[in-house]
Amino acid sequence: MKNFLLLLKQNPRAILGLSILLLWILLALLGPSLLPYSFSQMDMDNQISRPGLNGHLLGTDALGRDILTRIVYGSRSILTIALMTSLFSSLAGILIGFTAGYFGGFWDTLFLRIMDIVMAIPPLVLSMVVLGILGDSTIASLTIIVSIAYTPATARVARGALLSCKGSEYVDAARIRGESDFYIMFVEILPNTLGPIIVEITARFAYSIMMIASLGFLGVGLQPPTPDWGMMVIENKSIIREAPWAVLYPSLAIASLVIAISLFSDFISKVMIHEK
Amino acid sequence: MEFFKRFSKRLGFMFVTLAVMSFIIFLLVEIMPGDVAQTVLGQSATPESLKALREAMGLDDPVMVRYWRWAGGILKGDLGESFYMRGVQISSIFWRRVGHSIVLALTALLFYVPLSLFFGVVAGVKAGKFTDSVISFFGLATMALPEFVSGVILITIFSVSLKILPITSVIPIGENLWQNLEILVLPALSITFVMFGYVSRMQRSSMINVMNSDYVRAAILKGMPRGYVIFRHALKNALLPSITIIGMNMGWLFGGLIVVETLFGFPGLGSLTMSAIKTRDIPLIEACVLFITLVFVVSTFITDMLYAYLNPRIRFKGGEA
Amino acid sequence: MKKILFALVIFVLGFSTANLFAGGEKETEDKMVIRVAEQVPNLITPGSWDGQAFSMNSSIYEYLLEMDAETGELQPSLATEWSTEDGKVWTFKLRQGVKFHNGSSFTSEDVKFTLERTQDPDLGHLKAQDFSIIEKIDTPDDYTVVITLKSVRPTFMYQLTDYNMAILSSEYDYGKLGESAPMGTGPFKLSQLVPKESALLVKNPEYWEPSLPKAEELRIYFVADMEASVSLLEAGQVDVVPQVSPVIARRLTDAAGFKVVSPYQEHRFVALVADREPFSNNDVRLAMKYCIDPQILARACQGVLGETFFYNETPILNRLAQFKEITFRGRNIEKAKEHLAKAGYPKGLTVELYYASDHPYGSELAQTLKELAAPAGINLDLKGFPRDIYLSQYWLNAPMSITGWGVRVDPSMLLTLAYHSEGPWNESHMNDTEVDDLIDSIASEVDNAKRQSYYDRLQELFVERGTVLNIQVPYLVAMRSNVQDYRQPATMLCQYKYTYIE
Repeated sequence: MKNFLLLLKQNPRAILGLSILLLWILLALLGPSLLPYSFSQMDMDNQISRPGLNGHLLGTDALGRDILTRIVYGSRSILTIALMTSLFSSLAGILIGFTAGYFGGFWDTLFLRIMDIVMAIPPLVLSMVVLGILGDSTIASLTIIVSIAYTPATARVARGALLSCKGSEYVDAARIRGESDFYIMFVEILPNTLGPIIVEITARFAYSIMMIASLGFLGVGLQPPTPDWGMMVIENKSIIREAPWAVLYPSLAIASLVIAISLFSDFISKVMIHEK
Repeated sequence: MEFFKRFSKRLGFMFVTLAVMSFIIFLLVEIMPGDVAQTVLGQSATPESLKALREAMGLDDPVMVRYWRWAGGILKGDLGESFYMRGVQISSIFWRRVGHSIVLALTALLFYVPLSLFFGVVAGVKAGKFTDSVISFFGLATMALPEFVSGVILITIFSVSLKILPITSVIPIGENLWQNLEILVLPALSITFVMFGYVSRMQRSSMINVMNSDYVRAAILKGMPRGYVIFRHALKNALLPSITIIGMNMGWLFGGLIVVETLFGFPGLGSLTMSAIKTRDIPLIEACVLFITLVFVVSTFITDMLYAYLNPRIRFKGGEA
Repeated sequence: MKKILFALVIFVLGFSTANLFAGGEKETEDKMVIRVAEQVPNLITPGSWDGQAFSMNSSIYEYLLEMDAETGELQPSLATEWSTEDGKVWTFKLRQGVKFHNGSSFTSEDVKFTLERTQDPDLGHLKAQDFSIIEKIDTPDDYTVVITLKSVRPTFMYQLTDYNMAILSSEYDYGKLGESAPMGTGPFKLSQLVPKESALLVKNPEYWEPSLPKAEELRIYFVADMEASVSLLEAGQVDVVPQVSPVIARRLTDAAGFKVVSPYQEHRFVALVADREPFSNNDVRLAMKYCIDPQILARACQGVLGETFFYNETPILNRLAQFKEITFRGRNIEKAKEHLAKAGYPKGLTVELYYASDHPYGSELAQTLKELAAPAGINLDLKGFPRDIYLSQYWLNAPMSITGWGVRVDPSMLLTLAYHSEGPWNESHMNDTEVDDLIDSIASEVDNAKRQSYYDRLQELFVERGTVLNIQVPYLVAMRSNVQDYRQPATMLCQYKYTYIE
């Protein structure tokens, strides 16, 4: 851990990334209680007002709602969904990938082929079709569907990580000891493959954010008035000339979060691979 | 010989994938909730008219029967009739849109591939220096912008402020795409941003690896000019991983196309898919998704083969990479 | 290799840049062409047409009667005369010498076919209920149609102006061709249709009015995004954009070279469904009504209350002659809470509000209503869906809904459709015998004064215990200043035959 912090200090980009991420998490947790408005509150005297005027730091949208407030609230849903998606898909991925890689042979080939097939549909298309037909998107449905779309990729990484450890001595030792397969997979191998897996989780996190924002943009985000950054962009696109800030700020929010996570993810991968 | 064996094995698998995918897509779309007949007849549906329509559409037949009917049609080239727009053959709208999307995808490829390879190489060669930092950061920033965000920003700059490019991709009546190439620019650029970031970063790290490899360092130590070494030796090997990445990202490209076409109103496959989903036009959705899958699978296949062909280790010794 | 790639990039970039500077409108010769950018239509065959995108259909098809855009009076179109003595037997004399675009002659057979088609069970014709009142149709000769109704309906002729009652040819297969090759008797005929993209209509040389249409061509672009349509207008690539938002209208009115007109108002009915919880209890309905602040609703739609935006608690448009001015109760949260408590909801309640998320004003109204109702303890759970899905899956089954209704030139048509307990589109499931009686009386009453008294009483009833909130939003059309004589009466059928470009 001390090592980690030391490395961190040497890498200004990672520090930047981590701080932005922490800032967003902080805003998501505490922001709503600090803000004077609710995200659906309509200040009809100040519709489409410029940033900085009349107590609205980032301006208001067509319904007079404070954009800063909506962005802060929006961070909650997007962070929650993205986090859960990356965790779920990683969990599922580890389970599937480990099983395939460990038992090898027929199961492994079958798994590889099935994963290849599921990956044949681009994740955005898959999610869009399912959610579009279902019609009503909730946090649960978004999480589940995006997780399913991402699981094959994480499964592959997990499998690869397992394969590289499979021939190690401690695995042989555990086998000789008579430990169960389950034990070997999750108690012996897993801790040693954490490196690539953590890198994968952080990368997934960034992809999930982009995916969820895109799905919001395509109209299958969370139901209004719940703020959804992607939907804010498309909602306000019709007043882009009167109020470019209404489109600009949610876009910047998305970008900053993804950049932050990517910077941090880069650093993690350097660290993990370095340690290997 | 090894290569040929690999080729046929992969080709066979590709067909299997397509067949299985077509079934999965069919199932996925057909088992979704919502009564299709209800959607088509809308407000004036009576139980009798619903029943009649379901029979006419063959909706009450068992799943396998319906699947074979559809798949059989596809193999003959008949994409079926739109559920929503009765009497309209899907083929009449479909292929035109596909053509437009292909042109858009190629334009995007033409934009981003040379750019990202070039800058990736430069960043890799000048690793750690200022140029590298600038290029890397730019790559990272653009990668973080979903296509619709960069699209909106581009619209603001080029259409709203500067007014030199059209805000929407409409083809005037009586003309075709080739007379209106300017509608390709903004959508292609939006896709370019994301892809650029991704590919240039891969190219950079692959370049760094190659530059650090023994034979390159040896060549430089031997006194060969650096530029020569880069062009003749390093580049060929550094390009290889990027080719794989570009191929593998065809899938993302198609996902990005949906977003971009919707944003710009570009008359392509992506916007057709969106409109099909919105109206729950089952056969149209199936046709669109199947085609997207087809392109993706084929491009993965081609990339695989290209990689195997170019990678001497595989080409001459065989076996898994 | 790199060099070749680089050269290719330069080539493509150069080509496209050259093209974009050469771009803009291509030469249109000396033809008068009207270019329109409007929404993407869904289904367009008359009978299934849901009222999106009027430009194409209203130029290709025609109706027995049309409406004067200024006065609202009925004018002869395919029917030259119409009369009834008892309100039950209607005689129509048809225009002679009219041809369909495919050359076949227009006769009484076609009228019979069009009317009988509404009752075809396999078709799901949107006007099936309206025209079920027809007992029989006789065609004594090629140019006379005698329609006998099952009961008296003095306003029957208005039904024939409904946009889904385009006169169709009995010899044309609309089932197969209705979506891809619409065909009628109108001033323009279809030359080329790229589904969901564009339509090219050309002047009908055999049109029964030789001096019309004034334009040679009508080019219609289907553009999903309103902002995109308007940018086409501003770039000079189209001349007319029907249906723009008030924000855009404001911008264009201020800009030189454009003008905005408002042919009519549209309804947005908020249905408080009366046959289930919670709105089955009138106190809850009253509570909701006490939450409304029309000023805020108007602002949310970028309209001005009293000028471009109206609100009342009856289904009658403010601008109609039959409208009775009833003082609005005013927003009163305390009273709302009282009524809720009386109904057994002292702690408030939650109800799902369904609406079409992509229909103009839908999303704004839904969110504003939610905000307005919250302080009283009424929590509206918003469920927005794309319009097709909303209309086909949720609309008639929802506990509370917002639906866009086009204007009905004669309000009794609307009342029968939507507020009579047996009405097919009774979205609020209203079931009130007094209301039913009044509606029936209105439909069959011949004396104007008596009818008006029924209207008055009906409106009072609605305020007392009605199930609807009537929000009237502006319908705006933007166009270039040189576009003259754009006419769109309350039937929503635009009359491009009169429009010309200076």
